[in-house]
Amino acid sequence: MTTENNTWKLAEAYLNKSLNAQEVENLEQLIADNKNFAQEFQEVSNMLLSLKNNAAQKQFQQNLSNIKTQIKEEEQDAPRKISLRLHYLRTAAVAAGVALLASLGTNLWNNKTESNTSKYSELRKVRTEIEGIKQSQSRIIKVLDNKANKPPIENKYSGTGFALSNDGYIVTNYHVTEGADSLYIQTRDGNYYKASTVSFDANADIAILKVESKKFKFSKQGTIPYSFAPSKSGLGERIFTLGYPQDEIVYSEGYISSRNGYLGDSMQYRLELPAEPGQSGAPVIDANGTVIGIVTGKESKSVGTTYAVSSNTMLRMLKNIPQSNSINLPKTSKLGKMSRSQQIEKIQDFTCVVNVYK
Amino acid sequence: MQLSLLKEHQLLEGIANNDRKITEQVYRDNYKQVQSWVRSRGGSADDGDDVFQEAMTILFQKSQNEEFRLSCKIGTYLVAVAKYIWYKKLQLQNRRPDFLPFDSGEEDANDNRAYEDDVKVQEEREVHFEHLNAAMEELGEPCRSLLKAFYNENKSMQDIAGLFGYTNPDNAKTQKYKCLTRLKKLFYAAQVNK
Repeated sequence: MTTENNTWKLAEAYLNKSLNAQEVENLEQLIADNKNFAQEFQEVSNMLLSLKNNAAQKQFQQNLSNIKTQIKEEEQDAPRKISLRLHYLRTAAVAAGVALLASLGTNLWNNKTESNTSKYSELRKVRTEIEGIKQSQSRIIKVLDNKANKPPIENKYSGTGFALSNDGYIVTNYHVTEGADSLYIQTRDGNYYKASTVSFDANADIAILKVESKKFKFSKQGTIPYSFAPSKSGLGERIFTLGYPQDEIVYSEGYISSRNGYLGDSMQYRLELPAEPGQSGAPVIDANGTVIGIVTGKESKSVGTTYAVSSNTMLRMLKNIPQSNSINLPKTSKLGKMSRSQQIEKIQDFTCVVNVYK
Repeated sequence: MQLSLLKEHQLLEGIANNDRKITEQVYRDNYKQVQSWVRSRGGSADDGDDVFQEAMTILFQKSQNEEFRLSCKIGTYLVAVAKYIWYKKLQLQNRRPDFLPFDSGEEDANDNRAYEDDVKVQEEREVHFEHLNAAMEELGEPCRSLLKAFYNENKSMQDIAGLFGYTNPDNAKTQKYKCLTRLKKLFYAAQVNK
């Protein structure tokens, strides 16, 4: 046996603590006397420790990934039905919301004669107070019935989403995705894809999603036909929207009725545009094919008054998220000279249903 | 108090010894908190899982040192380390300097600093392991399989002698030492060239 082999043997025994007191003493003497040996012994011991530790860490990480898989399987197996009673409770909460919204509205009107500052703080106060109602009532979430051929979980909400980039970045409303356990989008061709929230701004009511599959593309052609307006559009501008209040895509049109939204919210527009539950998160598009906003809610009393978050609010938010550089926003609209039906034909492939499971 | 401390100590020991059951318990007790925190900071559920597993690995490595004692609960440690890792990932993406742990204004900003070293040491360890694995790949057969059988598959020298056709365990051992010598040469040669 070579001396080198002896060093390995000695180091192995030393690390396993199988040397007796005399042998340890001899070893320590050798290390003290012989600098070359000391270094050799150090390197050899390090090598052995690294090999062991590397193997142990691999084993540990294998355990972790097995545990993760196990937990995921359990979560999928767990039944996820909202009980009937809970369903009625939701409806009751919605009804309560309507009454409160109306009374707050009157309140605001009565206070109008007060000084500007107090009116301002009043307004802000009302805004926060009604936040809860906005979430549950005035916004357009739809409770869907159980349907066959859907992902395994029943009882869900749905909204609309549309593409920010061909590779699966999507914008929708925050209130659509809020509290979601899992999100699936359904594209125009009927396929389901799992998505996750990349970022959101609850105040602006915007959520950015990403389809998890790396191979996902909205369209093979690869270019999004619309662009995003960097500033606010004018009063009276004609607009249209494409959304999913039902399984089939639905078109509706209208105009900008105020440049500010709900209770003067400058991040929003007020629109005269029919919208139904399920259309939250749908794009609001002008005649040239430029997205000017995202449908966010409607007034419960009137039929046609709808609110939309402005596209510049969304662009501002996008700039500030970590993923901003990887989202390739479309630069120009390719829809300018087309007829409306041609425009819709181009746009619809870049819209999707956002299915939410809670 | 005494009881819960003892329990924490036992959990740590279980992790150190690669005990599957205890690892699973610690995993289940803590992953949700990390996951929802990461999701609230712009990450996906998978990001949350990744960050949590990295924090678990750091705890595992820390626990290998018998002297190691936690000054806080395991859960607190894992969450703090995970937060630091996630901040660091965001920082590496270089998109959000104000997300830096030190001036983020978060209540735990100062605590994060304490875990900086733990994360750094683990990063260095991973680089070290990469070099080791690279040397292992260069090693060639039968050395690579022999060392893997001993270190990764926990096979005895008796088994290895049978598997690799050595007449007795001692011959297999001699071969193992030769392989180790070659591995060491490759490993240190790569270090010098760097």
